[in-house]
Amino acid sequence: MQNIEKSRPSPEWIAALRRRFPTEREVDRVLTRKLERRAGPGFIPLQLETLVKGAESLIRAHIGSNFKLSDARWLSGGASKLQMAFTLDWAPPGKAREVTPMVLRMEPAESIVETSRLREFELIRAFEGIVPVPPVYWCDSLGEHLPYPGLVYGFAQGVAKPSASSSGVSGLGTQLPPELRQKLVPQFVDCLAKIHTRDIASAGLTAFDIPSAGTQCAEWGVNWWERVWEEDSDEDSPLVRLCAGWLRQNMPKLDRASIVHADYRVGNFLFTEHDSRISAWLDWELGKVGDRHQDLAWTTSSGFATRDTDGETVLVCGLMPENAFFEAYEKASGLSINPKTVHWYKVFNNFTILVLLLATGYRIAKGGKTHQDVLVTWLMGISAMLQEEMRGLIEKGA
Amino acid sequence: MQMRPDVQIQSMLKALNDVVLPALDPANKLAQEQARLVMGMLALMSQQLPLQFRFDCDELTRLIGFCRELEAAAGVEATTLSGRAAAASAVLARAKADPAEVQQAVKQLRAVTSEVVARAFSVSDTALQDRVQRLVLALAAEQNPRDRAWFAAQNWEPDPRALQPIETLLRPVGSD
Repeated sequence: MQNIEKSRPSPEWIAALRRRFPTEREVDRVLTRKLERRAGPGFIPLQLETLVKGAESLIRAHIGSNFKLSDARWLSGGASKLQMAFTLDWAPPGKAREVTPMVLRMEPAESIVETSRLREFELIRAFEGIVPVPPVYWCDSLGEHLPYPGLVYGFAQGVAKPSASSSGVSGLGTQLPPELRQKLVPQFVDCLAKIHTRDIASAGLTAFDIPSAGTQCAEWGVNWWERVWEEDSDEDSPLVRLCAGWLRQNMPKLDRASIVHADYRVGNFLFTEHDSRISAWLDWELGKVGDRHQDLAWTTSSGFATRDTDGETVLVCGLMPENAFFEAYEKASGLSINPKTVHWYKVFNNFTILVLLLATGYRIAKGGKTHQDVLVTWLMGISAMLQEEMRGLIEKGA
Repeated sequence: MQMRPDVQIQSMLKALNDVVLPALDPANKLAQEQARLVMGMLALMSQQLPLQFRFDCDELTRLIGFCRELEAAAGVEATTLSGRAAAASAVLARAKADPAEVQQAVKQLRAVTSEVVARAFSVSDTALQDRVQRLVLALAAEQNPRDRAWFAAQNWEPDPRALQPIETLLRPVGSD
């Protein structure tokens, strides 16, 4: 048993982790950067003025000085990133001068999900005009203008849940009225089908590696999250180790590489209430080129499900029964669903969330690295339920 | 158990200091004063909690000695003291390990068993893996209900009534 000082990782230990867990280059870059900065200061509360100056610097680097940023204000919500809304008086390329509502989304010193702003930027841009996404404008992927890496995108109109409803953290447990469901269901399925069938070569994804046929996709995924467990965990767990071993033992072969949203669920899309149209898909930060079954397993997680008005029927994301969802998806996408692969990705998704909550949540709160330490500490409590879910999934077999 | 008072108190203090206190109306003196008192109390708790058990054992040791001396000094007026002192000595005899040592032992056993599990899955021996898997899942089947009950008050569970109260799931200390 080695004693590693994870709050002050040595260059040798970082190098050893990188060798042991090969994954996508941009994922490796982001995780390595996190470790290299870990011994540095925690998150220091920022004044709005600091972010305004950083945003102005970023915008100036792209369009010059002919703009005016105003009405800056904090946006709440989300455990992983800081968000500032503002309006920009500017002349977009080839357009007349306009006032555009925008959002700056920036990382804290360390995040509950350590991801790449460049990947998020490229993915949202790849879907402009294909599925509803906010327009993305500029990215500061290395934190050259802002205190930490960030990106600027357009403020999307709409709500994540009906104004007159209640739900838990992150929009979970949202009860949608049947008439609204009817209108959202086809759009929900159609958008997922469009994401999974998007041509990758023309998507402009420079920060992504494309897995080859076979098990490389699954292996990169397990490597990513097992590496995070090694980097961040304080208390080890035989169950988490078993899960990693089980995942490696049963890795599915990739039949077709697709763009994967990786957090496709209720609460992560906005819709306009007057016409029940989905207006924006958000939270692309974990997106990748991978296996569509990852999204299918995630979307059908019991944690996002609610019961229909009969009190019996379980509705995927509060929208429709699972068999209807799978059937509609296959029809819309022309892609098949392999139940064994869905099961593997359910275990995988469970593994990633446990890693985030138990390992990263603890590590960043202990290091005072975020604007939401008290929230990530609170969220660690979900892990008990997830561990039981993990046990049940593994017990079911491959 | 990863969520413990050290990280809980630290993150609460940070939220109060960085977000809540600056947002309070400076003119509301009572709110300002009580927010600072809450922070002070939490800071005090973070210092005291790791030593609380040791503090109590230390005091109990002193009181047992005091009982015996007092009984000898007060004679007939203090005959009940020896029985009470003996009972307290029995409690103290069972309280041999500091909670911090227990926590450290848990952490060490988690680490070494996790290492063995990981090693079992790094070799091609499915029989070994099956045996290890069975044991880990059996352990989880015992431990998970306790972990879930420990966090029941957070209301994450879809059916909290299915959980047993934590008090009924934990064996009394020293009952083995």
